[in-house]
Amino acid sequence: MASHDIKVRVTDVEERVAHWVLAASCLFCVLSGVGLMFHSWSIIPTILGGYYATKLMHIYSGVVFAGMLVYSWYLWRKDCSFEPSDLDWVLKAGGYLWPVKDLPPVYKYNAGQKAFFWCLIVCGVIIVATGLFMWLWSPAFFPNVLARIVYMLHAGAVVVLAAFIMIHIYLGTAGNPGTVSAMITGYVTKAWCKTHCPRWYAERFEKSEQAS
Amino acid sequence: MTEYIKLIDVTKCTGCRGCQVACKQWNSLPAEQTTFTGSYQNPKDLSYNTWTIIRYDEIVKNGSLKFVMRHDACMHCDWPACAKACPSPGALVKMPEGAVVHNPQYCIGCKACIAACPFDIPRNNPELEKMAKCTLCYDRITEGKQPACVTACPTGCLTFGLKEDMLDKAHKRAEEVGGVIYPNNPKYETHVLYILPAGIQASDLQHTNPKPSMPLSVLLWKNLFKPFTLIGMGAVIGGAFLHYLIKGPHEVHEEKKEGGE
Repeated sequence: MASHDIKVRVTDVEERVAHWVLAASCLFCVLSGVGLMFHSWSIIPTILGGYYATKLMHIYSGVVFAGMLVYSWYLWRKDCSFEPSDLDWVLKAGGYLWPVKDLPPVYKYNAGQKAFFWCLIVCGVIIVATGLFMWLWSPAFFPNVLARIVYMLHAGAVVVLAAFIMIHIYLGTAGNPGTVSAMITGYVTKAWCKTHCPRWYAERFEKSEQAS
Repeated sequence: MTEYIKLIDVTKCTGCRGCQVACKQWNSLPAEQTTFTGSYQNPKDLSYNTWTIIRYDEIVKNGSLKFVMRHDACMHCDWPACAKACPSPGALVKMPEGAVVHNPQYCIGCKACIAACPFDIPRNNPELEKMAKCTLCYDRITEGKQPACVTACPTGCLTFGLKEDMLDKAHKRAEEVGGVIYPNNPKYETHVLYILPAGIQASDLQHTNPKPSMPLSVLLWKNLFKPFTLIGMGAVIGGAFLHYLIKGPHEVHEEKKEGGE
């Protein structure tokens, strides 16, 4: 049987739910945030029911994002911890930009995915911490000289994260056909798994195959 | 459009607080219950319901005590940081007359203006989630009247008029009393000017900004990070599209040895 027809499960249901709740809250925050930052994008606050409603939804969506950020860290921190061979993968750009022959075999996630995860965690923590401050600070107890740096950091961390999210979306869909099902049904083809997670595949499935 | 300036001759202020009362009356702002804090200054600070106060400073210089009373309110910047930071269109507007006017109807209570202001003027009402500050009595000056505080001033400390006339008057008066004009940053003009008494610098006084400017963090936030949020995302989407065209998607192929299984 060709390995294109055999499906293997690469994500469990907790991971898929966490991914999509995180993604939805994050994208809603980006969208409503763009609506609040650019007066020319007033169509977004208009659809969402005005600027005050947009502010509230941005905050509450941010609270969901904050919760899911912690849960995501808990879920993927081990799979996404760097290993020495990741440097080699990064130096070869994962084979995405120029032809590479001896790409170091990946376990579950490649160095690019790990970098995205840690960028999400670092930028996410900055965004959540500054966002909480912007929501709750009292000017009576905090100098505005420092507060304006907090507002700036909130926007600065978004520049990095928003751009990286676009890379993540491209490589998870059009850039790597067959990948998106990993986050929808949880199953990918055996060939996909052998190509993208060779060491993880070998550890999980090849031993059991030999046994049977 | 004619631009106006409110000129505050600090040498003439007697600290009667007529301007404070007139401001409260014209803008229908309730009085505040205050307590003695060891200073003649009362209330202690600006608030949502107090848009101007007289600040008292006791300054010891060269062995002598100087007592300075200063009318403190919005400076009505030419290039207002508050309006630049404001996310809600119409909530903070720079008017052609020079006034920076807030409109509570559109304010969403995000406090960005409070963080951005180089003079620490806007104040928040946490219950209403609205900010408030001096409007230079925009509703009066557009009717040809003077701001309420100016009409109430008995000593001529507060005067209001055309920008050119007031600048002229300020320079003559500063020369006369041997004091300096504050703020004196030609790159950051304001529609409120002070003439300080001889020997007193802005840095001697409480709640002043001796070198006012558009804060660097506000510039980075609004002129760099804000556009680059979309430029960054757009560049990556464009780059991804080019990658798809040039390099193509990373297809998963059958391994040769698979066929032999």
